[in-house]
Amino acid sequence: MALLELRNVTVALGRSDTAKVILEDVSLSLAPKEIVGVVGASASGKTVLSRTAVNWLDPPLVRRSGSVLFEGRDIYGMKETEMRGLRQRISYVGANPMGAMDPTLPVGAQIVEKMRAVMPDVSRRQAQERVIELLAAVRIPSASSRFHDYPSQFSGGMMQRALIVDALVTNPAVLVADNVTQPLDVTVAAQVIRLIKELTDQFNTAVLFISSSLPMVREASTRTLVIDRGRIVEEQATEALVARPSHPYTRELVSQTPKIWRGTETLPALPEDREVVLSLRDASQTYRVKKRSGLGGVNLVRAVRNVTFDVRRGDSFAIVGESGCGKSTLMRLLSRLELPSSGQILCEGKDIATLRGRDLLDFRARLQLVLQDPFGSLPPRTSIGRMLEEPLRTHGWRDREKLRARVLKVMGEVGLAAELYNELPLGLSAGQRQRVNVARALVLEPSILIMDETLSALDQAEQFKLLDLFQKLQQEYNLTYIFISHDLAMVRKVCNRVAVMYLGEVFELAGNERLFFDPGHPYTMALLSAMPTLEDKRYKPEDCLLEGEPPSPLSIPTGCSFKSRCPRAMEVCNGVQPVLTVRHEHDFAACHLVKAEIPLIEDSVEGASA
Amino acid sequence: MFTLNFLIRRLAQGVVIIFLVSFLIFTLLRVVPGDPVRLMAGGMAPEALIEKIAKDMGLRDPIIVQFGRYMGSVVRGDLGQSFVRPANGASTGGSSFNDSTRGERAEVLTLILEALPMTLQLAAMTLAISLVFSAIIGIAGGLYPGRWPDKVAFYISSIFISLPNFWLGIVLALLFSVKLGWLPAIGYNGFAYTILPAIVLAVEMSPVLIRTLVGSVSSQMTEAYVSVGRVRGLGRTRIIANHVLRNASVPLFNLLGIQFSSLLGGVIIVEYIFDYPGLGLLTINAVLQRDFPLIQGIAIVTSAIFVLINIVVDLVATSIDPRLEY
Repeated sequence: MALLELRNVTVALGRSDTAKVILEDVSLSLAPKEIVGVVGASASGKTVLSRTAVNWLDPPLVRRSGSVLFEGRDIYGMKETEMRGLRQRISYVGANPMGAMDPTLPVGAQIVEKMRAVMPDVSRRQAQERVIELLAAVRIPSASSRFHDYPSQFSGGMMQRALIVDALVTNPAVLVADNVTQPLDVTVAAQVIRLIKELTDQFNTAVLFISSSLPMVREASTRTLVIDRGRIVEEQATEALVARPSHPYTRELVSQTPKIWRGTETLPALPEDREVVLSLRDASQTYRVKKRSGLGGVNLVRAVRNVTFDVRRGDSFAIVGESGCGKSTLMRLLSRLELPSSGQILCEGKDIATLRGRDLLDFRARLQLVLQDPFGSLPPRTSIGRMLEEPLRTHGWRDREKLRARVLKVMGEVGLAAELYNELPLGLSAGQRQRVNVARALVLEPSILIMDETLSALDQAEQFKLLDLFQKLQQEYNLTYIFISHDLAMVRKVCNRVAVMYLGEVFELAGNERLFFDPGHPYTMALLSAMPTLEDKRYKPEDCLLEGEPPSPLSIPTGCSFKSRCPRAMEVCNGVQPVLTVRHEHDFAACHLVKAEIPLIEDSVEGASA
Repeated sequence: MFTLNFLIRRLAQGVVIIFLVSFLIFTLLRVVPGDPVRLMAGGMAPEALIEKIAKDMGLRDPIIVQFGRYMGSVVRGDLGQSFVRPANGASTGGSSFNDSTRGERAEVLTLILEALPMTLQLAAMTLAISLVFSAIIGIAGGLYPGRWPDKVAFYISSIFISLPNFWLGIVLALLFSVKLGWLPAIGYNGFAYTILPAIVLAVEMSPVLIRTLVGSVSSQMTEAYVSVGRVRGLGRTRIIANHVLRNASVPLFNLLGIQFSSLLGGVIIVEYIFDYPGLGLLTINAVLQRDFPLIQGIAIVTSAIFVLINIVVDLVATSIDPRLEY
């Protein structure tokens, strides 16, 4: 008998007949100890599906028909108290780990509270022991002291693990995991999936694993359902689904999943002697943060440490790394929102820290920024035309006709209809909003564009369209792009040169092919092994996946800052900090293995030519 | 460790604040027109005598010298003597310069210590009434935004904030003491005398507390941990009692620190209306009589109270929400 079963469930947004239907006639079943995946794009009804499964439909969501059976009993036919008792057997973990707990109480106490709320017979002591035991089981370091820490003291990945503990603490029969890996960095997401699989084994829990990423679902589940616009369009064993998708939507989903090593076009080669437009010389940024204990002391946060690289005209330069690695600080330095605490940043040969007045304004026109959040970055009560004219006015344009003509031209170039000129940004989709952002940057005819996670808020299809646009604009205006991103698949597709950052340092600086086929740093390899792809991985997670999380930038370890997580750490890494060492002429890696000429993997796979 | 460090830091800041307040009050009192010696000695006293008294008291020295001398004795716990009030209690303002009944002048510290407990009692009573009242109205309003409890909260706070306290004081005194005879209104002769003035002050304070509570409770109710809490298996009552109210109380505590200052301001008028022998009444009389040492003493004591209350409020807020940093 199925443990959890959805029978022909239809859920709508509101009670009226014309209300929008979110889920239509959805049926699925989950057997004990099974992991079933559900995959679909954003707005396909995934989250509503996961909420329906745990009896969490708040107005205006209404279940119109169908039933959800847990061990044969309809959970929507139960009394509130009975349902609450059943929460012991049905658990849920969501996509927003940081908001899921009261920020003013210790994490451990809240898990104990939950456990005792659904299992009143358990004593406080027993509960506490069990929680600490489980915190250790999900590999939270020093679990018994972490038990007393507050949610704000946990990183996103640790909090997600704590919530998995929260879900499993009552030994549930079913765990509904709604996009749990979405807010996490790739290496942490890979750890979390591995953890869920281990734990279901250990605790005999069945999992409904819902995700927008097909590779993640494939990693986790044995059977997969595909959801598109509220309907289940296909259901197959996971491997068969990936290999032989039958529904057109599944085929689209499989084909849209980015490829890293196979079947990607090689980027057109650029000549090496192009002029250097942006050059970092030993740039560092240190923030002073007030200490909480001790009288008026400060902690030094070394967010960016001795970064040196050149960006040449026409480059699509990528800066990649996981959260907290200093990418955004580097963006602030490059765009002169902040001045480096030491070192220099040269733009076309001039130190940007010394620019004043007219020169500074010219620099601003040459280098523009496109930000991540498509919603927060546009003023809600300004018309789009007005918004795009603003930078021109700042730079001295006055003639109304010329302003309008220029703005309309740029709007055409980025694919915004001219009718939007007088519209407010309210009704625009995320993709259109990002086009407005790109237009606002382009209107000054810059030569360098910094894209700070510009595409991360968009879905796959929209990302591809914008990337095509970027490529077209680059050819037309000889633009130089700096992409700041955590998305290696996007980087593989468009960037000719990549800098990998970790804890404020550049670990590896290499051309695209070199980085993806012959990385020089164990960290790069770990990133590649954790990439969500459907191909056979060139680098096996078993060999290179990391444990734990980066150390705090407040106390950077001596020697190599990666040694605490590095699977290849050696004696020398303790004492000596490796510097960027040249390998193959134009590529660099900061690892002792490079100097010692020890290959990262013994049997280097063929096709590793640059 | 954090608490100790916090207390040391904040008390040090507090000393600086009190010092600055004293200096400001001291200087302003001496540059405004009006000679206190003329008031002390009486209108008929000869000019030469006034000069002599002023010189003896050091009132003709440069302000900075006077201030130094004053602060020197303040740190030893001596706030000086009143210019006007005798130790035996009778007011002497305006009496003749050679009035033999005048005798010893009263110590400022003694005067303040007599009045302060009265005002603290009134303030505590006010706080109790307004907190209980605002909690009931405000939490109900916050739990049902847009529904009738929210509207009730809005109407009540709108009406209360528009009532002038002097008018309300007179009306309540008329109703409850004169017409109904339930409560005493004038002076002080037992705890019952605190109730009417406390109600007037509570009416003045509640609207802000209610609005804050409605806002913070309703915004906490939309937080993810509330809806996720239900799915985790926590009951609604438990979520509200253990988590929502805890989080919503932080802005309330911060507000209380500020409201307390306006409470001490409101006390002046209300104590005057009810002839309640607290710090407010003492302040008014001191100002009217140009009793410099007494005004200064009150200023120092009240600013010390502000500083202490804000330290306590911030300490409570950080102990509730560990993310706050003061």
